[in-house]
Amino acid sequence: MNTSLNWLQDHIDLSDYSTDALSDLLTFAGIEVEGIQARGAGVDHVVVGQVKSSEPHPGADRLSVCQVDDGSGSLRQIVCGAKNYKVDDKVPVALPGAVLPGDFKIKEGKLRGVVSNGMMCSGRELQLSDDHEGLLILKTDAATGTPIGELFESDTLLELEITPNRPDCLSHLGIARELAALAKRPLKGVAHHGESSVTQQPAKADEITLEATEACPFYTARRITGVKVGPSPDWMKSKLEAIGLRPINNIVDITNYVLFEMGQPLHAFDVAKLDGGIRVRLASEGEKFLALDGNEYALETDDLVIADQSKAVAIGGVMGGEDSGVTEGTTDVLLESAYFTPSHIRRTSRRLDLSSDSSYRFERGIDPAQTVGASELATKLILEIAGGEAEDVLLVAGEVPAPPAPVTLDHGRAQRLLGTDLSEAEMGEILTGLGLESQAQGAWNVPTFRGDLERHVDLVEEIARVYGIDKIPAREVAFFAEPSKEDARYDAYHQLRQRLVAFGYDDCLTIKLISDAQLADDLCSLRLGKQNQAVPLKKPLSQDHTTLRPSVVPGLLDVAERNIRHGAKSLKFFEIGTVFSKHEKSPNVLESQQLGILLSGDTTNPSWHGDAPEADIYDLIGLCEALFGGGKQAVSMRRLEQESLLVAAEILLGKSVIGRLGQVHPARTREMDCEGPLYVAEIDLAKAIKPSLAAEPVAGLPKFPAITRDIALEVPLDMENAEVANFLSKQNDVLLVGFEMFDLFADPSGEKLPADRKSLAYTLTYRSSDRTLKSEEVDKAHAKVLAALPKLGDVKQR
Amino acid sequence: MIEQLDAIHQDAQAAIEDACDEAALEEFRIRFLGKKGALTQAASGMRNVSKEDKPAVGQKLNEVRQALTGFVEARTAELLALKDAEAAKGIDVTLPGRRPQQAALHPLTQVMHRGISALRQMGFTLATGPEVETEFHCFDALNTPEDHPARNEKDTFYFADGHLLRTHTSSVQVRTMETTKPPVRIIAPGSAYRRDEIDSTHLSVFSQMEGLYVAEDVSLGDLKGTLERLFRAIFGPKTPVRFRPHFFPFTEPSFEIDIKLQPKGQEPRWIEIAGCGMVDPNVFRQICESRGDDVYDPDKVTGFAFGLGLERLAMIMWGIPDIRLLIENDQRFLRQFASA
Repeated sequence: MNTSLNWLQDHIDLSDYSTDALSDLLTFAGIEVEGIQARGAGVDHVVVGQVKSSEPHPGADRLSVCQVDDGSGSLRQIVCGAKNYKVDDKVPVALPGAVLPGDFKIKEGKLRGVVSNGMMCSGRELQLSDDHEGLLILKTDAATGTPIGELFESDTLLELEITPNRPDCLSHLGIARELAALAKRPLKGVAHHGESSVTQQPAKADEITLEATEACPFYTARRITGVKVGPSPDWMKSKLEAIGLRPINNIVDITNYVLFEMGQPLHAFDVAKLDGGIRVRLASEGEKFLALDGNEYALETDDLVIADQSKAVAIGGVMGGEDSGVTEGTTDVLLESAYFTPSHIRRTSRRLDLSSDSSYRFERGIDPAQTVGASELATKLILEIAGGEAEDVLLVAGEVPAPPAPVTLDHGRAQRLLGTDLSEAEMGEILTGLGLESQAQGAWNVPTFRGDLERHVDLVEEIARVYGIDKIPAREVAFFAEPSKEDARYDAYHQLRQRLVAFGYDDCLTIKLISDAQLADDLCSLRLGKQNQAVPLKKPLSQDHTTLRPSVVPGLLDVAERNIRHGAKSLKFFEIGTVFSKHEKSPNVLESQQLGILLSGDTTNPSWHGDAPEADIYDLIGLCEALFGGGKQAVSMRRLEQESLLVAAEILLGKSVIGRLGQVHPARTREMDCEGPLYVAEIDLAKAIKPSLAAEPVAGLPKFPAITRDIALEVPLDMENAEVANFLSKQNDVLLVGFEMFDLFADPSGEKLPADRKSLAYTLTYRSSDRTLKSEEVDKAHAKVLAALPKLGDVKQR
Repeated sequence: MIEQLDAIHQDAQAAIEDACDEAALEEFRIRFLGKKGALTQAASGMRNVSKEDKPAVGQKLNEVRQALTGFVEARTAELLALKDAEAAKGIDVTLPGRRPQQAALHPLTQVMHRGISALRQMGFTLATGPEVETEFHCFDALNTPEDHPARNEKDTFYFADGHLLRTHTSSVQVRTMETTKPPVRIIAPGSAYRRDEIDSTHLSVFSQMEGLYVAEDVSLGDLKGTLERLFRAIFGPKTPVRFRPHFFPFTEPSFEIDIKLQPKGQEPRWIEIAGCGMVDPNVFRQICESRGDDVYDPDKVTGFAFGLGLERLAMIMWGIPDIRLLIENDQRFLRQFASA
């Protein structure tokens, strides 16, 4: 809320507070000061000037060349773009040397070739108001040459963030009341706010019928006749302008003034435009309403309207109508002051997407006890400023909502919750300062404007706020904690991240919402399979983010594309994160943690020493083997057919499939301007890693040396290594402890080997755990392996 | 015989001068010391030497053999020294090295890890919960009224079946209390979602870290102690931390936390960094109702909760000017965090 310091000072003396001290006082009481603006703080070298002539600029249609009397005795030529002034108007003139707010220095110069010695200013350029529609036109009696600071009172504007639980602070009186409690000083009495003396008279049916008591428990109206609508007096205009409101006419300005003074929204109807008495009712089905913002709103039967006998004239508590407001010709007004139920106003305001200063206050909850007082204040001001005569009774309908119930403070409990030894008397003093009244047995009566204080803890909060949390001692106590499953999982994943980083892969975080195009990409089905579906959002924010990602691969491809665009030669990325899917037969969304890896381009840094080797699929296979094959179970690959991948494999850990990898189809990578092959892997971490606190036992070193024998096998070109490996691992000779593939050779020319054949070579390792093997023993064992070779099929030893 | 040996010695002395590479040296060795070499052949003449001459001739033979072996050793050492010097020639230690590819943990991973480490040292353990949530866990149980501004399709992503994408990680508080008896002391890092257009300061999917401590007699003093520690662990032991009263539906009293930092080239200023407060008794009541017991009866337990935005934390920590840099994963950006 925009708050004027001058206005506040009507209610409380703050002259001993600097702006910063005041700002701290509010901030540490929970009212954040979001901005501070000095208004009208006399800018030097800005004086009252009078426009003596205005000619079109020879070189620019929108500009004029003015001769201005700045009181110095000679005329000053100024080029000006504004249109809202007439010759002889008085305006603020910034002379060369002036520095306007925003560090805007005024110098002599030329505009489009014409000399301009200064600038005529708008209200906003001088931070006197928010008006920027043209020059600020000054009063005719201002003497030319007078420094502008002498014409405008300086003020400080505080932009306050009022939290939703404190509607009582949405007015100057409310803020002053809060400051009085914080600074421990009294409020000033204000002449206008007398005790309410008007007689309240229950309205007759033809005056007010209150049909919707749930939405509007209490409604009042005061009739004032014979008013003269016109401009407001300067004091009121300047108050409203100070907080950024544009004065309209005296009646409307008074309702606005009372709203920002007391926090009670009011509405003035033009009696001549009303058809009979007021009906406070719910809207009828399909009812349309033209509001004074010029928009037509379609109402529902839950919306409250203020109506006359034939039509709605306002959306209750939200906005008045285009056709029933006060205008220049209005002579009789009906002044509404009411209490509307917060949740009702909130629903309507939200559904219509229509908010006003009134609805903002009603939906948070105004002080129901001030409805009559605010009406009185506005009536007094209208009579004073616009003349006329008020009816001597205030028409009322319904009942003022009950005041808040008393709340009990348990001193010991409050101390424990706050962690302080603040005494009962000190706590009491804080509550009294806030307007609460002590009753018997720790009970406190809550003032009508503090409907938010309902529970013990609400009182404790008030005490903490006013006492100051900085005075509460920090306590540092911990207890032993058992690590959770989630701790173990986090540690395992973090270790995985660090290992990937050590292998040169960058840790990525991409957005978890993807587009339909990304989803349609077959790469998503890498993980999804046939029975699982992706999870679309009901109302996406944009076409780029329509669906929860079922895979981390689309995000990584985006990362690759972006980096290729920026000239990256080596693409090594990974992401660990949540993916989402839904089984076709279940409504539940499944969330799982996946590791995605992307690899393309150079595998080493560029060097003067030679070209970097280009990544191929064996780099990615090897990475997966290194990451997950360290334990008891080995990592292996099984060929997979996948449309979007040129070559693909399932990644197996032992016998279970933990993920998939492959080369993204070149048709796709060419679209990304990716020159070489690009590989991706996606691994389900719940399957790949079983975090455990138990240590895996390790084997000691062998005591006896191993003997190796190499074999080279000529096999059909399409025979997979897996077949041979499978054959070798099935050889159950105790001495054969391992084998490793070490060479692959093929000769497409058919010279050294038939073109449809290839050679695969393996080193077989023989070792005994209890003796050094003799050559003959190894020969015997090896011969057994060789003898079994025909079982492998069309295989020859070379 | 003596003369013959002297002659061999002299020949060898001359020949070794010419043995200027390994092959020549080997030739020299064969010529003088090999099986058919001059010295070996001369030695075979020993048997013809008279008994009385034998000691003198034998000594001479030894002397010459030692001298010749010495020639070979000395020469070998010289040649190796030359070869070593040759190997070092042309090495320019000022040429750029061959650097291993150096990658980085994402700044959000790093900032999250720092926070997690600090809180685990204080006895917090990790907890988790689903990102696709129910209205109950995200709002109702957290004392958020049905007509609260966040609870509509303009601000929150809903699914057709009424589920939603959690708008904060606070839902993990509820999940944890539903399944764990007090005391609980947990942290829950994770994603949260809001329908915000992505710009330089907003993401629709962002990262938060939630904390909750519930036990008997947890006080505002505990909250202060824990969070001051946390932010000093992240931003340095002398970082000023302050608490400002604020409003959140699920805590009462509620505070916002500011830390005072000096961004490069600027005046030190207070920067808002987190929200926190004492768990609202209404939250405990909801948990009791949901659990069907009274272990979280607000008359028996109290607690505090806090939540912080990790993107904001990272942006402040490293002076990152645009939040989108955190989701774009540009190598040139990420690699700056390799040594962070």
